[in-house]
Amino acid sequence: MEGGTGALGALLLADARLPVGGHAHSATLEAALEAGMPAERIPDYIRARLATVARTEAAAAVAALRAARGEPVDFGPVQAALAARTPSAPLREASAALGRGLARLARRVAAGHPAVRALDTAGRAVPGLRVLRPVALGALGAAFGMTAEQTARASLYDDVQTVTAAALKLRPGDPLAAVDRLLAAAPRIEEVVREAAATATPHDIPACSAPLIDHWAGAHAHTTRRLFVA
Amino acid sequence: MTRTDTAAPRLPARETGAPAPGPGPAGAPGTGAGPAAGSGGGGLNPAEPAVIAVRRVGARTVPVALEAGTFLRPRVMRRPGTALRVALAAVRAALCAGDDVRLRIDVGPGAELELVDPNGTVAYNARGGRAAWGASVRLAEGARMSWTEPSFVVSDGADVLREIDADLAEGAELLWREALVLGRTGERGGALLATTRVRLAGRELLAEDLDLRAPGLRGLPGVLGGARVVGQVGLFGRAPGGSADPDRLDLAGPGALWRWTGEHPYRSEAPLTRVWRAWGGHA
Repeated sequence: MEGGTGALGALLLADARLPVGGHAHSATLEAALEAGMPAERIPDYIRARLATVARTEAAAAVAALRAARGEPVDFGPVQAALAARTPSAPLREASAALGRGLARLARRVAAGHPAVRALDTAGRAVPGLRVLRPVALGALGAAFGMTAEQTARASLYDDVQTVTAAALKLRPGDPLAAVDRLLAAAPRIEEVVREAAATATPHDIPACSAPLIDHWAGAHAHTTRRLFVA
Repeated sequence: MTRTDTAAPRLPARETGAPAPGPGPAGAPGTGAGPAAGSGGGGLNPAEPAVIAVRRVGARTVPVALEAGTFLRPRVMRRPGTALRVALAAVRAALCAGDDVRLRIDVGPGAELELVDPNGTVAYNARGGRAAWGASVRLAEGARMSWTEPSFVVSDGADVLREIDADLAEGAELLWREALVLGRTGERGGALLATTRVRLAGRELLAEDLDLRAPGLRGLPGVLGGARVVGQVGLFGRAPGGSADPDRLDLAGPGALWRWTGEHPYRSEAPLTRVWRAWGGHA
């Protein structure tokens, strides 16, 4: 790949057909439903994520995009800040699994880009933790020539659509209703996009926690009857 | 020996919890930049911190400074063993509107401090005002500290910032226990933002803002749902033994949090005590 892809890159990163392994994830929705959350509360669950974990990840993706402009590029501080803001081991593992898919894609399509060559700096930052999804997303955003807003929106869109798509498999219903759920969240998504785009350094990444999401993810990691890995 | 790196964590913008899209009401108390961190800001009255500084002499830990603050007075408790046990006594009632309770703790190299707060904290109805409770903890190389805060109750109408900032040098270990309770019996509780920052050997180990200010947000599925109690035991500087558990959060670095959420504070007692003991806490 030569030069930026601009708007096309943003579409590509939001496309569920991108072969990065996202189809195996439910953004902890499966565990939430397993724990008894009624399906009617899925819009509230999306709202909870946008106020907490999804917000943190979008800001981290922007911080990674900014780090990708450094010389030399060092993703270590972003990876470490995000790891400190993700106390749940199963959620770090889920993020690292998605990060691996994105990193593989990045190395295929933009191997020579300085941000992609520097992905190893993230893997070395925290012992035993491979590159997390937002860091790989920020590196790809840099390679694709995306803006901070595009990168944050790709991260948030992916989070919400992971929930809506998993909901269709876990509680089959009208696929058009899933689109409604996404669009209902649009004003809040744009609010978080604006906030995340202003993330200048890893220190600025918010650390809003969601205790029940952490708990559900922990319970899900030990169940044998599951459709999604996380 | 004290470090003066007290940079406050960046506070998140307040989530209004309002169902309507768009920015929240600008006139609501506390809307905007969030509670100011640090003394004197955000309508808080100037207050003196309580100071506890200890160091190791031979095999024992001795006090270097025990200074009463505006709200808390440290008192040594005579006990056998090499650790120094210090209890916090109330100087005057807190937390009322404008109160800014500050605690500064310094544990020297290889020293061992057991800090107990037999009373806990109640944040009272602030009637539009706010209050803050902050602790800054510095553990030198090889220092150990255990710390129990039995309950931190946020009454209806209270608006409180609870800040913990802990800086651990290489080989230091902090075991900590607290129970955040939204409301007294029969209440749903006021606004609480609990921020926790733990660094180990200069690297961030845990950064967490538990934002329980807006009832519309904290009641969402995934945040607290219907729970009004968050009880936790944290071990920082060492990864505890034992197997994985849904309530146990193994951090990316050496440390873990064990977190209980539920409706009734007394139900958190037994599981928290079990974990506290298993992770090396005193009886």
